[in-house]
Amino acid sequence: MVENRPAPETSRRRFIDWLLSRTLTTWLLSTSVGGLLLAILYPAGRYLVPPQAVESTSASVTVPFTPEDLEPNTGEIFRFGSRAGILVRTPTGELRAFSAACTHLGCIVQYRPDVGHIWCACHNGHFDLNGRNIQGPPPAPLETYAVNVRGDQIVVSKGS
Amino acid sequence: MAGWRMPRVLAVMMLGAATHSWSGQAHAQEPPTDNCLSCHSVLDDERLSAPAKAFPADIHAVRGLGCSACHGGDPAAGFDGMDPAKGFLGRPGRRRSVDLCGRCHSDAAFMRQYNPSLRVDQVAEYVTSVHGRRLVELGDTAVAVCTNCHPAHAITPPTDPASSVNPLNVANTCGTCHSQADYMQPYGLATDQQEKYLRSVHWEAMSVRRDLSAPTCNDCHGNHGAAPPGISWVGNVCGQCHSVMADYFAQSRHASTFAMLGVPGCATCHNNHEIQWAGDTLLGLGEGAVCGRCHAAGDGGGETARAMRTLVDSLRTAFDSAHAKLLKAERAGMEVSQPLFELGGANNALITARASVHSFEVLNVKEPVDEGLAITATAQSRGEEALGELRFRRAGLVISVTIILALILGLLLKIRDIERAKSTT
Repeated sequence: MVENRPAPETSRRRFIDWLLSRTLTTWLLSTSVGGLLLAILYPAGRYLVPPQAVESTSASVTVPFTPEDLEPNTGEIFRFGSRAGILVRTPTGELRAFSAACTHLGCIVQYRPDVGHIWCACHNGHFDLNGRNIQGPPPAPLETYAVNVRGDQIVVSKGS
Repeated sequence: MAGWRMPRVLAVMMLGAATHSWSGQAHAQEPPTDNCLSCHSVLDDERLSAPAKAFPADIHAVRGLGCSACHGGDPAAGFDGMDPAKGFLGRPGRRRSVDLCGRCHSDAAFMRQYNPSLRVDQVAEYVTSVHGRRLVELGDTAVAVCTNCHPAHAITPPTDPASSVNPLNVANTCGTCHSQADYMQPYGLATDQQEKYLRSVHWEAMSVRRDLSAPTCNDCHGNHGAAPPGISWVGNVCGQCHSVMADYFAQSRHASTFAMLGVPGCATCHNNHEIQWAGDTLLGLGEGAVCGRCHAAGDGGGETARAMRTLVDSLRTAFDSAHAKLLKAERAGMEVSQPLFELGGANNALITARASVHSFEVLNVKEPVDEGLAITATAQSRGEEALGELRFRRAGLVISVTIILALILGLLLKIRDIERAKSTT
């Protein structure tokens, strides 16, 4: 009877092989199913509960008018994402762009050809053509944007 | 070792004189040694040494002026330099100090050499101030003179954050005298101005938001010509910054009524030193509203106040609602940048309506409110559309994910059945 029993080393190897094959199968199966579920549920979850990012990430915009549309000593409001910008052609013909949100309470500013300034009608705030607050309650300068003219297009970008 | 010790002052004076004598022969072209600083900076008497120690950082010293510019005398000489015959003034009295500063600071040609843009009317303004008039007309030397606000020997320009006249430090400088009850008692003045100012929205703007253009004491009272703003021109003072509201008020019926009653324009409702953020709650007849102090429900003014408050509230509520909806849609990834951009017009209208409240005319408030409500209605509708679209997409997502999951589950069950069938055969 003793001779019929397998050698202890052979028996152990078979057991280890069996265990490995089972574990590997289970691991592969569970990982694939888990991965599949994650791949479906994670984006769906992020879609249903979006992150708290409000700020527009757009860094540049092509304004809806051409350089010829802007006469010297005039300004136009344009949309920069969900915010307003103002593009000014100075009396000397230079194009400059700024955020159009007044730094006081966020009113939309406008260009005043009679004084050659950017002006906020809400509380009579004045900004010079470098965006600096020079009169009235605005506490800070307007954010300055970079302006690039590419043929008939005017591209306004944040930062310079 | 307890031998005779030469007094330190004498030793320094001798050294200074010797140095001057030698340098006078060897370097005739160099400026003479300033013996005032050499001696005074090492004196044991703190009253005499402190000015000399502080003076090198003073703007006058930085620009090359020495002690003799104010105190006279001959800084190159030893003790002889402090001879009144050589123009030595010693410590000028408080009355004389004003003329002394004015000797240079009222001289446009002289000041132009140092700072062409610096004003030269400080003394002229000072003699019109309450301080100056009391000093000149009554001989009251307890009032502020130049050196109270610009500490002698440690004067730095207002742009220096450590300067006593830097905007952040002005309230403290004025408060040094004006917050002292015993000092103000002879003048019958209140001493809570600084304490109140430090609770105001103006100080909050300056100290927290670091807006150094926010007003401090001298912006309303003047600096060299400091005086309390008269009742009739308080509006002009506030109107330097708040010009739109001041214009509305000046044309309103309240302007003449307040003048008749002898009460100041802006300060009656907004206070003077303790001015708080002017929220919508100030308007109307409810709790915290200032109109109710004079008006009541049923009288014309009370009804106007109530109507204006209702209008402003309606636009604010509509704006907040539309804004919240659009932001919610934007956060969820919906494209709402155009309506958000257009909603900026409603913010303009709301701020304009709040300013026009100072005309105390319902029609002036109604016009921007109506304009704003039209914008908010469009924005609200666009926000609701975006959120409706979002709900539709989410419902679609839930249904499709459910179907996919059900399909996966079905496949797994099917695979298991096949495996079982194989194992039984």
